[in-house]
Amino acid sequence: MSKKILIIEDDSFLQGLASTKLEKEGFAVTGAANSDDAMKAVANEIPDLILLDLVLPGVDGFGILKMVRDNPKTNQTPVIVFSNLSEDKDIKHAKELGATDYMVKSNFTLDELADRIKQILK
Amino acid sequence: MPEESKDLIAENEELKRQNAIKSDLISISAHQLRTSLSAMKWILKMFLDGDFGNLTAEQINFMKKAYESDDRMIRLVNEMLSINHAEDSLETTHREPTDLVKLLDEVVFDFTGESYKRGIELIFLKPDHALKDVLADEDKMRVIFQNLIENAIKYSNKGGRVFVTISEKADVTEISVRDTGIGIAKEDQEQIFGKFFRAPNAKAQDVVGSGLGLYTTKRMVEKHQGKIWFESTTGEGTTFFVDIPTLG
Repeated sequence: MSKKILIIEDDSFLQGLASTKLEKEGFAVTGAANSDDAMKAVANEIPDLILLDLVLPGVDGFGILKMVRDNPKTNQTPVIVFSNLSEDKDIKHAKELGATDYMVKSNFTLDELADRIKQILK
Repeated sequence: MPEESKDLIAENEELKRQNAIKSDLISISAHQLRTSLSAMKWILKMFLDGDFGNLTAEQINFMKKAYESDDRMIRLVNEMLSINHAEDSLETTHREPTDLVKLLDEVVFDFTGESYKRGIELIFLKPDHALKDVLADEDKMRVIFQNLIENAIKYSNKGGRVFVTISEKADVTEISVRDTGIGIAKEDQEQIFGKFFRAPNAKAQDVVGSGLGLYTTKRMVEKHQGKIWFESTTGEGTTFFVDIPTLG
């Protein structure tokens, strides 16, 4: 059965691109544009991995990461932070909150992202 | 306090304020630029991978050129950010007892994705016992580790390995970053810490660099009364060593 990926990304164009690529790679992808949608998606079905943007309207990616880690159902779910922020303080904060990996979007192609996801889910 | 000193303090504060505005502006612009550049990078790569159907040889050729052009722009944005960060970081020093093992662990974590992508194994050989804290400016130490590990990855070929170690010597804590990369030629070794210097074999790797990384790294190490040096053999690799005085 396909592994389930939840992409939390408010830019619909980027979300669409990432979904297209990951679906081609055999993943079942769900998208969420904000924390409410993300929490609804998680309540509906626990994903195998979460791809998380940081700059989001309302609760930001750090807030969502905290919610994911505080939720007993998702506290072990791998979370890749996928953001164009690259300041040390952001990377450090994400790690402290329990991010599995931190990838700067512009430094990776989507096939490299798919490879990393496959490696984590191995 | 004499008037002249007050004026100097006020002027210094104003310069700091302007510098903070400049840094913020660079960070925000970089984020916005990266968002558009990422979208282009992803789409072009998907075309090149045939995700949208087969392309003619001519189309592939032009797509490749567009991809490379976009990637160059991304590397320039990254470079601009790292220079901005290094400049900011050199201005002030806040030293406090710092756990360098934890800090190294974090920096190695930051590079996991990059090293995986480049097919390079990044290994942190953690000490089997706790080390004493070091009186250090955490931000600067982080930049020192980042620069050394980034260089080790940048100048290694696919299949290469990068080893990071930390240990206590007499009154210093010693960090080493060893790679199996291109190495530094004998004739270039003397200049390697010079401002804007880039070794010919580094330039030939088609890796973007400003020639400021090792220069700022050395300055930061010296701000800690530390020492930096290296051992290198062309074609075999380089090991950088950093000694920082241990606390107590």
